[in-house]
Amino acid sequence: MSTPQPVVHAVDDDPSVLRGLERLLRSAGYTPRVYSSAEAFFAEHDPEVLGCLILDLAMPGCDGMQLQQRLVDSGSVLPVIFLTGRGDVPTTVRAMKNGAVDFHTKPVDDHELLAAVERAIERCRQDQQQRRVRADCVARLAGLTAREREVFQHLLAGMRNKQIAAALGTVEKTVKVHRARIMEKTRASSLAELVQLAERAKSTGKA
Amino acid sequence: MSWLDVAWVALAASSATLGLLNLYIWLSRRSELAHLLFFAMTGAIAAVAAFELDMMHAATAAQYAEALRWAHVPLALAVMAMVGFVRSYFRAGRLWLAMAVCIVRAVVVVLDLTTGENINFAHIATIERVVLPGGAGFAVPAGTLNPWWTLAQLGNALLLAFLVDASITLWRRGDAVARRRSWLVGGGLVFCVLCVLALALGTFFGGLRLPTVVAPSFLAVALAMGTELGADTLRAAQLSRDLRDSKHLSELSAQVAQLALWSWDAATSQFWMNSIARGLFGLPDQPPRSLGEFLERIDVEDRGGVSAAIAATLSRGGSADLEFRVTQSPTRWIATRIEAEVQYARVRGISMDISDRRRVTRELMQKREELTHLSRVAALGELAGSLAHEINQPLMAILSNAQAAQRFMAAPDPALDDVRAAIADIVEDDRRAGAVIQRLRAMLRKGEIQHAPLDINDVVTEVLRLMRSELTSRGVVVGTELAPVLAPLLGDRIQLQQVLVNLVMNACDAMQDSTDNRRLDVRTRATHEGVEVSIGDSGRGIPATDLERIFEPFVTGKEHGLGLGLSVCRTIVNAHGGRLWADGGATAGATLRFVLPQGARA
Repeated sequence: MSTPQPVVHAVDDDPSVLRGLERLLRSAGYTPRVYSSAEAFFAEHDPEVLGCLILDLAMPGCDGMQLQQRLVDSGSVLPVIFLTGRGDVPTTVRAMKNGAVDFHTKPVDDHELLAAVERAIERCRQDQQQRRVRADCVARLAGLTAREREVFQHLLAGMRNKQIAAALGTVEKTVKVHRARIMEKTRASSLAELVQLAERAKSTGKA
Repeated sequence: MSWLDVAWVALAASSATLGLLNLYIWLSRRSELAHLLFFAMTGAIAAVAAFELDMMHAATAAQYAEALRWAHVPLALAVMAMVGFVRSYFRAGRLWLAMAVCIVRAVVVVLDLTTGENINFAHIATIERVVLPGGAGFAVPAGTLNPWWTLAQLGNALLLAFLVDASITLWRRGDAVARRRSWLVGGGLVFCVLCVLALALGTFFGGLRLPTVVAPSFLAVALAMGTELGADTLRAAQLSRDLRDSKHLSELSAQVAQLALWSWDAATSQFWMNSIARGLFGLPDQPPRSLGEFLERIDVEDRGGVSAAIAATLSRGGSADLEFRVTQSPTRWIATRIEAEVQYARVRGISMDISDRRRVTRELMQKREELTHLSRVAALGELAGSLAHEINQPLMAILSNAQAAQRFMAAPDPALDDVRAAIADIVEDDRRAGAVIQRLRAMLRKGEIQHAPLDINDVVTEVLRLMRSELTSRGVVVGTELAPVLAPLLGDRIQLQQVLVNLVMNACDAMQDSTDNRRLDVRTRATHEGVEVSIGDSGRGIPATDLERIFEPFVTGKEHGLGLGLSVCRTIVNAHGGRLWADGGATAGATLRFVLPQGARA
């Protein structure tokens, strides 16, 4: 897998703030993309690209909080750093609950902002990694037949072959054949690995 | 002595008495020229009577001629005085006719003294004595006529024309007094002149045997005039009694109302003051002896204005209202109405101490200004968060740009173009932050009200800019519709901004509960009253019963807030000569409007 250049998005309705942010991010070696409205951002946004979003809270039309909600609803893992000119506690709490990684009051110092950007990108990287693993697990489990899936569920529940055969109304030998097929299809080398795979596939992607 | 002699002597004496009486009246009232002219006329008539008496008793033709010659001198005087009297007392008669009469009369006197034996006769050959019943006798002349005699008759005809014209003028004036005078004097005069004319013509052409009766005819006229003059004099006496009464009453009312009354006679430079005026101007013992002394009592700053106002009313007439301070300790404010009578060169004044009223008014104004200021500060306080945002935006941009520039410079091969652009942006954003602070400081300043010409669209735009962040954070969509060309109006920019901030904030508060479609419509337009500004919202509206009540102080629909905002707004708009009111929207959406007149001022 290649390591793609992370993109730092910034949305603010104030063009001069946007210019300043763009310049600062560029001076720190990032690739910035700036947008003056939520609509402009969504028009260009690619959820697969590694990066993070610096978002102004108060904007005419669709404000920062609504933009974040839309991202969450679309299943994006793009981490959001909020900037606000008037940070009040209830808004901060709501933003953080909704998964914002950071919340800063303007004007924010470059060290703080760039550190936050760094953290956010790292988080994005991890999230994307996790997502890929899960997708892999899900893909591996997807090949199982209905019968194999039943056997798989019982195995996860910690039942022995004999017990499974009894539960499914079949003979132990048949269960053994199913079990071998499962291990082959999921490329798991042990029962423990199989359990871990199941866990990963179940997780929602959030840490 | 015959009865004729007695009659003529009595005539001369009564004429002279009447004349002296009027001379006496004139001496005490120099402006009433009619009395002097009346004196001249009756005096001259007395002289004419004396000469006539002489003529009656003439023993020789030469004596008769001499007496007739000199009789024309007082006669001319009598005629001129009569013309003058009609013009000055009745204000009637044409000037050119009056001049013509006087000039012809003067020429007649000159010719009378230089040609022939007199203006009537070139030579009197004989005199005949006529004896009337009762033994009275008089001389009747006979001889050759002086050719200039016709000029004397022309003079008489002109006099007649003048009097007829004057009478008609009087008659046309139409009021009862003028009509009576027209009959009494004009008619009488015409009658007598006709008599004299007929007599003269009769004597010379018809051989009438009568004594000359110029003096009695004139006296009849003089008596008619005297009646009018006497009536006037009587009226004057009545008036003086009335005046005493009214003066007493005015003094009484002045005392009760604490009014200072005074007057100044410019001709004699004398002041009169009632006791209150003397107290007010700080001259308890006596009124000022001159205008200078009076003006000294007035504060040096106001002295010039008062002096100019007195001079102006004295030259133009009419009245003027003044407010000035007097040099008392403590300084007192005085309101004065002065009124001048130009023809008598008199100035009258009524003054009143208004120090207390002024102090109360000033305190009231101060309180109102403080309240206005406090309300403005309160309105801005509600905006504090948004205003901080307005300043934080440029500060954020400045910080980002500055730190970006530092990073660019730290690189081994600095991107100078980026640094330059960053610095240019820093300068720009710094100006922007400065402008926000400037606007805020102007709004928070507790300054004098300054009325200057302004474009209301500018004020609206500026307020919306100031509140942009607040409107954004409340999710309010602003629609503006500003009339492209509006006449400038005179007003206090800060106070009008305050009105707009309040109205916009109220509109926002009214839309607080709306979940969507928070819309604010700001419009300006020209109306016949001036310039109208309307602020419409899509909020919960105002019940019809509350449309007026919301402007009362301490009436509020908000949990916080004093309920002073709209009340102060209305005070401000009213002080600009405009109106502020709320419009409809019983269930949804209210509109508040205000109109300011063009060139409005407080």
